[in-house]
Amino acid sequence: MKKNRLAEKNALFRNQWFFLLVVEIGLAIVTGIVNPRFFTTSNLMNILEQVAVLGIVSSGMTLLIISGEIDISVGANIGLSSCVMAMMMKAMRFSFLPVAVGILLAVGNSFLVGITSRGFKAPSFITSLAFISVFQGIALAITKGSFQTIYGQFETIGMTRVAQILPLSFIISIGAYLFVHFLLSQTKLGRRIYSVGSNPQAAYLSGISVAHTKLTAFFLNGLFVGIATMVLLSRIGAAQPSTGTGLELRAIGAVVIGGTPLSGGKGRIIGTLFGVFLMGIISNTLNMLRVNPYFQEVTFGLLIIASLAVSVLSSYGKTR
Amino acid sequence: MAEKKETLLVSLRNITKVYGHHRALHEVSFDLYPGEVHCLVGENGAGKSTLIKILSGAITPDQGEICIQGQCFRALTPRQAITLGVSTIYQDAELVDSLTVADNIFLGSEQSTRFSFIVDKKAQFVRAQEIINTLHLPLEPSLLVEELSSSQRQMLQITKALYREAKILIMDEPTSALGLEEKRALMEIIRTLKSQGIGIIYISHYLEEIFEVGDRVTILKDGTSMGTYRISEITIEEVVRKMVGRDASAFFSRRLVPLGEVCFEVKNLTKKGLVEGVSFAVRRGEIFGLGGLVGSGRSEVVHLIFGALPLDQGEIWLGGKRGMIRSPQDAIRQGIALIPEDRRKMAMLLGRDLVENTALVHNDIFRGPILYRKEEMTMTQDIIRKLTVATQSETQLIEELSGGNQQKVVIGRWLLDGYEVYIFDEPTKGVDIGAKERIYELMVELAEQGKSIIMISSSMPELLSMSDRIGIMRQGRMVDIVESKSVTEEYLIRAFIGV
Repeated sequence: MKKNRLAEKNALFRNQWFFLLVVEIGLAIVTGIVNPRFFTTSNLMNILEQVAVLGIVSSGMTLLIISGEIDISVGANIGLSSCVMAMMMKAMRFSFLPVAVGILLAVGNSFLVGITSRGFKAPSFITSLAFISVFQGIALAITKGSFQTIYGQFETIGMTRVAQILPLSFIISIGAYLFVHFLLSQTKLGRRIYSVGSNPQAAYLSGISVAHTKLTAFFLNGLFVGIATMVLLSRIGAAQPSTGTGLELRAIGAVVIGGTPLSGGKGRIIGTLFGVFLMGIISNTLNMLRVNPYFQEVTFGLLIIASLAVSVLSSYGKTR
Repeated sequence: MAEKKETLLVSLRNITKVYGHHRALHEVSFDLYPGEVHCLVGENGAGKSTLIKILSGAITPDQGEICIQGQCFRALTPRQAITLGVSTIYQDAELVDSLTVADNIFLGSEQSTRFSFIVDKKAQFVRAQEIINTLHLPLEPSLLVEELSSSQRQMLQITKALYREAKILIMDEPTSALGLEEKRALMEIIRTLKSQGIGIIYISHYLEEIFEVGDRVTILKDGTSMGTYRISEITIEEVVRKMVGRDASAFFSRRLVPLGEVCFEVKNLTKKGLVEGVSFAVRRGEIFGLGGLVGSGRSEVVHLIFGALPLDQGEIWLGGKRGMIRSPQDAIRQGIALIPEDRRKMAMLLGRDLVENTALVHNDIFRGPILYRKEEMTMTQDIIRKLTVATQSETQLIEELSGGNQQKVVIGRWLLDGYEVYIFDEPTKGVDIGAKERIYELMVELAEQGKSIIMISSSMPELLSMSDRIGIMRQGRMVDIVESKSVTEEYLIRAFIGV
């Protein structure tokens, strides 16, 4: 009976991301039939490359959402950090220090969102909303709105293909997923992140520092944003204040589609992984089918709303 | 009274309400005549609130009939109750602070000028003054509600109810926030209301008030009615006697544990407005009960001890050493465990499994940042076996268990480590009989291991049969500490309400 129950539960869990996988394969087949170029190695690798940055950002977002917080300023954070990185590289003709400073800046920004939210007892949704315009404003001020190009200077991470095939950026994103998976399933910090997301008061009365745990989640989120900035800058070779805009919505969407509810305390990184893939495949499919890019934005928005509907319906089924 | 029959305002017939295993009300009947003050008394959890909520439509009874002004229903909606003239006067609720007295009276049914969308402030003002005058209330229609005292707020609520043509007023502990003068004023208002033919259901722990203002009294105990009496035909002593007194089966007979030295002591614990200078000591092997009415400061005392509320003043001593406790983290580190009252809100991790719920406080049993998943699993299985938690597996989600089993898991998380002081806040609230006995058994086992136990309880039998001594809380103070062997239920309830 005990085994039965476990098996049943595993099957149930498998269904969640299994469902996403089925949708993804279905989409791929349809696109492949309409446009056979979809299944070429170069296109598939292209998809992996495109979802790398989103995957890294979504990994951090998964931690944050499970802890019961959110950061919608990650896109603006990437914009500011990438401008600073690029400007320093241009000035220094040297890449290690700018990358380090850029990552630290991203960490600091995310931390600031967390600190203000805790300190002023405001939801992080609101503080991060405010910080979007702070980050974008600073980025516009320091760049005076201009493109910061660093072509040829910092291409290693973005251009390297391991074994001539696999993009290095994708491998970095896999590293991010694995790190978060390990953190959530094997460490005390992960356990605390779940507990403060599920019931902060119970966590507090059990001797867990809620503020400390949530700020750590913001810190890690910033770290992932910083790494994503580095990968993105290396791939594009240029930065501007609007770099990264819209990424927050896709990241939150990927997390939610992957089965992590915005209410916190639940969720797994594997869901996020397939959520990110779904985003990548849909984007690629729409390109292949030559859909107007403006409609692509519409599609992503609707997709996120659909995923919210699915999560509400599935919890409704459970409570009954 | 036969001639009054047709004018009966309220008639509740054989009302029964069951929550899970708990019978909140059992075949209770209650009626109210115009111009009458009918009081409702009973201990915490006797069923007063449930009865009131049924009458105001907030709760649906399982059985019985509700008749208001001749119309009978199986169940009411809150809206129906209001239309039928039932109005409840709450402590603070339902008022908008930023609006004037007049605006608040007409909130939701504003008087309009010729243009239906414009509020006729003048007409409202005049009408409000009229109602206030008929009751001789010290209220000014143009004042902002935020400037009112709590007694004026209460008067405003009464005014509002009268404007809505309420025929039945429910007053739940109306004097708890009032001073002596204000109490007298309220009694005066109640007399005026009576003369206007309004029926009042008056709930209070203060029996003197009931004898001052009431016409009849109904006594509830454990969800059953102990009878309805004319105030002129009963004494305070008799009322108290009917509120308590249970047969021996309600009591748990526990093993006695030899007491050791004092292991835990608090001195002059103070939190402004909540707790005033509470001091007591607990010995090893002792179960120290904390009794008192809801709102007497019992839970606040334990939250102060546990560091969940910051202390204004006072000392906490553990094993002869002064404890510095500023957060639950400090308390846990110094050997204090708290099982809070509201397990859903304060203890359970919903959506997580039993392992995570059990291992919650034990993150530091093992060194390093990595979890020891196998050990956690074994520890959880041990707890499940030890406390006979009815579950399919340790990976079941906690909300899928019954109340009693949830409580066992919540308690179980504190059994893995050695704590010196265990605080149980209402340990058996919403718990079935079987689980209750297992929890009592466990508390005695802890006492036998030389732990000090503090137990808050609203259940008289629990308090009397489990505690060695009982600290009696009244209005934030510990007014007395008694040996539980030497007191009766009647003595306790008198001490709680102060008569």
